[in-house]
Amino acid sequence: MKVRAKLRNGIVSVKTMSKHDMTTYDMAEKKTGDRNNANFITHIVATVKGETVFEASTSQFLSKNPILKFEFKGIGAKGDKVEMSWVDLKGNTGKGSSEIK
Amino acid sequence: MQRRKFLSLVGLGAAVLAVAPAAVRAEDYRTLKPNVWKAKTVEDAVKAMYGTTTFIEKGVKVTTPDVAASGGAVPVNVQSDIPAKTVSLFQDANPESAVIVFEPGKYSIINYDLKMKLKSVGDPITITVVVEGLDGKLYSGKRTLDVALGGCEG
Repeated sequence: MKVRAKLRNGIVSVKTMSKHDMTTYDMAEKKTGDRNNANFITHIVATVKGETVFEASTSQFLSKNPILKFEFKGIGAKGDKVEMSWVDLKGNTGKGSSEIK
Repeated sequence: MQRRKFLSLVGLGAAVLAVAPAAVRAEDYRTLKPNVWKAKTVEDAVKAMYGTTTFIEKGVKVTTPDVAASGGAVPVNVQSDIPAKTVSLFQDANPESAVIVFEPGKYSIINYDLKMKLKSVGDPITITVVVEGLDGKLYSGKRTLDVALGGCEG
């Protein structure tokens, strides 16, 4: 997953894109005839120095290759790493990280 | 036979380890409250999540375009200054209502952008965002928009 993190005025803003089809149950049924072929990201976490700075439980209704933006403050200096990961319905995982600029 | 047994055990151990980090860190609301994600209406989803549908209707700002050109990726921004435990987003167009549950921590600022799928249903669609404050109260914000082209048909 792609991560971009920027520090400005004490606030770190992060933009991230996860490469994932985000197949909904309806799409799976239409394309493969089986709703069980649906697969989408279910949980996304971001950490800085082992501290959680972002966390979300997600559904099938995020867009394909979902883009998320979030902000945090009180942790993270320039050069620190923002590490992110996701897990999907089938248990696959994705990772990405970026230095704070 | 012995060796096979051993290998399967190792395999199992590795699988548990691989899953563990996410499970330890996360209050995963998909496993914690599975009914939230199955609910067909906003009301049912909110009830499954918070046990009530009584909100204080202020303090939550939801921004979207008035008309989304494509339902495949509708941009939504959510902002609030309320110290919160969870921020959840629901809509009334797709087969199920819940879209995402954010869990702000002590470093988080509630200013989230996301892109979501919305089915074009012909009628205006309402997005409801509920902020569960650390004070135990529920705050909500709403935004109504139209979608020109649906995103769920695939």
